[in-house]
Amino acid sequence: MSRSYLARLTFALIFSSGALLVGCNSQTQSADNPPAPSAAAQTAPGSATPVSTPVTSPTQTEAAPAQAAPASPPASTFAGIPDVDPHKTRGSKSAPIIMETFSDFQCPACKQLYMGTSRQLNDNYVATGKVFAIHRDFPLPGHAYSRVAARYGRAAAQLGRLEQVEQVLFENQEKWEQTGDVDGTVASVLSPADMTKIRALIKNPAIDAAIEKDLALGRTYAVNQTPTTIIHYKGQTYPVVGIVSYDVLHQFLDQLLRQ
Amino acid sequence: MMQSSPLNLRRTVVLLGRLFLGATFVYAAYSKILHPTLILHPWFAFKFAVQANLANFAGEVETFKFVSTANAALLAHTLPLIELALGLLLLLGWRVRYWLTGVSLLLIVFLSVLTRAYLLHLDIKDCGCFATPEPLNGMTLVRDSVFLAAALLCTYCAFVEARKPHPWTATSSS
Repeated sequence: MSRSYLARLTFALIFSSGALLVGCNSQTQSADNPPAPSAAAQTAPGSATPVSTPVTSPTQTEAAPAQAAPASPPASTFAGIPDVDPHKTRGSKSAPIIMETFSDFQCPACKQLYMGTSRQLNDNYVATGKVFAIHRDFPLPGHAYSRVAARYGRAAAQLGRLEQVEQVLFENQEKWEQTGDVDGTVASVLSPADMTKIRALIKNPAIDAAIEKDLALGRTYAVNQTPTTIIHYKGQTYPVVGIVSYDVLHQFLDQLLRQ
Repeated sequence: MMQSSPLNLRRTVVLLGRLFLGATFVYAAYSKILHPTLILHPWFAFKFAVQANLANFAGEVETFKFVSTANAALLAHTLPLIELALGLLLLLGWRVRYWLTGVSLLLIVFLSVLTRAYLLHLDIKDCGCFATPEPLNGMTLVRDSVFLAAALLCTYCAFVEARKPHPWTATSSS
């Protein structure tokens, strides 16, 4: 086989496959990218989605006006960690381990972490006083409804409803990321009175400012993808990127606690 | 007297090819074992970081839907080590033609799996190839085709060169 024949064969193989596949890709890309969301679809108050059987909140006064909720989330520094919003924390402040999770409600990996790891972590470490968990918003620019979902999450946290909203947003992620109906999804688990307050709260610039603070803090930790969990223990910081199974994480936490 | 090895075209192709493919495979292994979570100290934290990274990679393998969850985990724990070994052996330059054959076969498997997923329109957010998360698209296939073409070319050249006596050990005809 001559040298020139071999070279020509190689180049022909590369370029023909390249031309063929690039042509296919443009079609797939356009199919993958959904159209930009309309403002109405993102925040539509009282959206068309029926509030079928909303889980009412017994502790919340239904008749309370929307303005009763605090407009600006109180944030403080805790154990050297800035901007800790008490509404977005779980567990005992005296817990030896602090875990900050930078999450995006529209990120599939965040959903997987939430469904597979966070729930068990809450039961076995947060509830038992071993871990103090801090939720951080890190809406990625590539996700059309991340910011809207983060606003709803923040607003729900102000009313003490973060857990319900987090659960419903992650469990129905595939639905609302197609339709953009974050409002309807959140409304399915909250009472109409809570929704009125939340709709008022998300218009408050303080909510966006708090999300920006979380984003800025994430950048100081060099967070560039979600989920990212920063584990603090005895002055040491362990950044964990991506999904971690509960089995792997609990071994690590136990070893940390044994130190 | 020992002479320097004459770099003909085929030897140059093999040298550049093995350095390129070796470095690429070592980087691919690093991407899977020590990325995205990198904790070097203490030992148990390093072990945890590697376990977390391999578990992440297993999740990526699973999205290709060609093996079961258990086999995806097994594959995720062995593939990076195979990549690392092949990469280092290529960089070392010992018995290159055999390792180039291994690399070519592995790349054929990679390209087949990627092409299958692409044709099935599977929603692959991260192909798991390297450290930077990249969705599966046409460019991923083109890039892997280039790697495969380079590996096949190098393998061919390495086998052809292996049939000839090495210039250092060949007796001079003059």
